[in-house]
Amino acid sequence: MSSDVILVIVVGTALAFDFTNGFHDTANVVATSISTGAARPHVAIALASLLNFAGAFISISVAATVANDVVNADVITPTIVFAGLIGAIAWNLITWSFGLPSSSSHALIGGVVGSAIAAAGFDAVIAEGLVGKVLIPALVAPVLAFAVAGLSIGLIYRVVGKQRPGTVTRGFKYGQIVSGGLLALAHGTNDAQKTMGVITLALIANGSLAAGADPPLWVIASAATAIALGTYSGGWRIIKTTGTRIIKMDTAQGFSSQGAGAAVILASTHFGFPLSTTHVINGGIMGAGAAKRFSAVRWGVAGNIVFAWVLTLPAAAAIGALAYGLTRVFGTSALGPVVVTLASLALIVAVFARRAERGAPVAASSG
Amino acid sequence: MTLATLVEGRELLETVAASVAAGLGVTFVFSVAIWGVARFADLSRNERPLAAAGAALAACLALVSTVGIVVVGIIAMTSK
Repeated sequence: MSSDVILVIVVGTALAFDFTNGFHDTANVVATSISTGAARPHVAIALASLLNFAGAFISISVAATVANDVVNADVITPTIVFAGLIGAIAWNLITWSFGLPSSSSHALIGGVVGSAIAAAGFDAVIAEGLVGKVLIPALVAPVLAFAVAGLSIGLIYRVVGKQRPGTVTRGFKYGQIVSGGLLALAHGTNDAQKTMGVITLALIANGSLAAGADPPLWVIASAATAIALGTYSGGWRIIKTTGTRIIKMDTAQGFSSQGAGAAVILASTHFGFPLSTTHVINGGIMGAGAAKRFSAVRWGVAGNIVFAWVLTLPAAAAIGALAYGLTRVFGTSALGPVVVTLASLALIVAVFARRAERGAPVAASSG
Repeated sequence: MTLATLVEGRELLETVAASVAAGLGVTFVFSVAIWGVARFADLSRNERPLAAAGAALAACLALVSTVGIVVVGIIAMTSK
């Protein structure tokens, strides 16, 4: 009974995390289309929401990686997964509060790894999976998106550079509707699956699923719905902030950055690499900007992203470990997760109230 | 345990190759489609119907190729 209560709390927390992931990442997916005028904000967000939902259904490779290849499912309990989620949500809130761009995906994996280590030591972590499927791809993917977008924009200028600007701009505006859609689909395939993976891990830990099992349909459907609803709710203030932070780009640059981002995310999803979609999309935008004019890119923003990337995994891991310790103060019953959930909710309300009092703008912080 | 055993080298390399091929492939064929449309407009204005028809054909073929690459790419990348 007690473990079932914890499981319900874990599923609820994971879906809440998924909703905020969609909410935050809307900006990353649609800001390029909106800033170049390729799509109206409401249309872009509705399309992104629909395609995020569809994307969540078309692959389970990333979910399998999160559920089976990062931490040892044999030593994981629903409480460990819960503490990991708390670590991820807390780190997202902290970075959001300070306006630091960070990755929800890395926060999620960091949180679960941290709580697993706190509970069962370093043996709980599968080093091959963590390094080979998370850390190395996390380094490679943004650089790859940067390079592909840079080469793409060079190719575009070579092919259509001497044509009338009006026709070219109109053409790439239409192209951006497709590339933006692809990016939303790719985002759904990678990001929604991380939540599916975490819920599946909790189900395995609870004995509700066999080790190595695929996510059940209700897990896929609920994760897809949560990320789609989050996307549709769209962080309008975040979109505005992201729109001003992104380089001033033309439609061809928008097309190449979105195309590069979608290609990298889809290819990584195929091999089950859970990426930070934020880093990939930003890498593509910077590549498209730098290929045209190196100084067009705000390299300070790039530096912040790298700084946040380095910090996210260990920080979320530390908070995840702390959350696990706090939960265990109340024993192994459901009381620990209930108390920590209530404390977390109180903290979230306090942070929002303080932000609202200050009237400070909301910064993009996602993954 | 060495770094080489930790890194999924082959899969990572295939990811890089697939990303470059898909990203550049779609960009190239879609650019050709836009080039075709722009040339068609110019050549039609200059009353060169045959050359304009050729540009229109190139645009159509490139557009169909774009859609084809996108569909095949999504199917290939999301099935395992």
